Amino acid sequence: MTKLGQWLCGLALLGSAWAALALAPPGLQPPAPLRQALLPLPVYLLVAFGCYSLATVGYRLATFNDCEEAAAELQEHIRAARADLRRRGLRL
Amino acid sequence: QATATDQLVGFGLVAFSLVLFVYYTLWIIVLPFIDSDHGIHQYFLPREYAVIIPVAAGLLLLLFIGVFIMFVMWKSRKHAKKSD
Repeated sequence: MTKLGQWLCGLALLGSAWAALALAPPGLQPPAPLRQALLPLPVYLLVAFGCYSLATVGYRLATFNDCEEAAAELQEHIRAARADLRRRGLRL
Repeated sequence: QATATDQLVGFGLVAFSLVLFVYYTLWIIVLPFIDSDHGIHQYFLPREYAVIIPVAAGLLLLLFIGVFIMFVMWKSRKHAKKSD
């Protein structure tokens, strides 16, 4: 199953559980405070996800950095590729 | 390398999202379990706004993104026409 399928499956499970609890007949409903917390739960999850995304973007922005090691490694790869191509007779 | 402004903006975003998350969690999850005559209720809007405000904010954000994309595409098309 792909990652998208997994996420859709999980969301469908959660959503149907929420709908079952929110749309239950009056006799089977959870107690009033719990129900009041339950009804806006999808919006709450959305807001929580938004907060997480915003915090991630902010944190990565604050700790943005040069990648000295990665640059050196990339240069090394380029050198190796050039040497290999030259060995096979390609003129650069 | 992140400059001082980048760090300020970045940690500002982190702090803002943390405050928003804590406040909204209190509002949605904790408040229903506290007696309605408790003093903490005066710091929160009525419950229906807990859904209306995020939905309105999301719609505004989508509208802004749409207008922005339209503006950028329109501008680039004008630019391409001029360069022909």
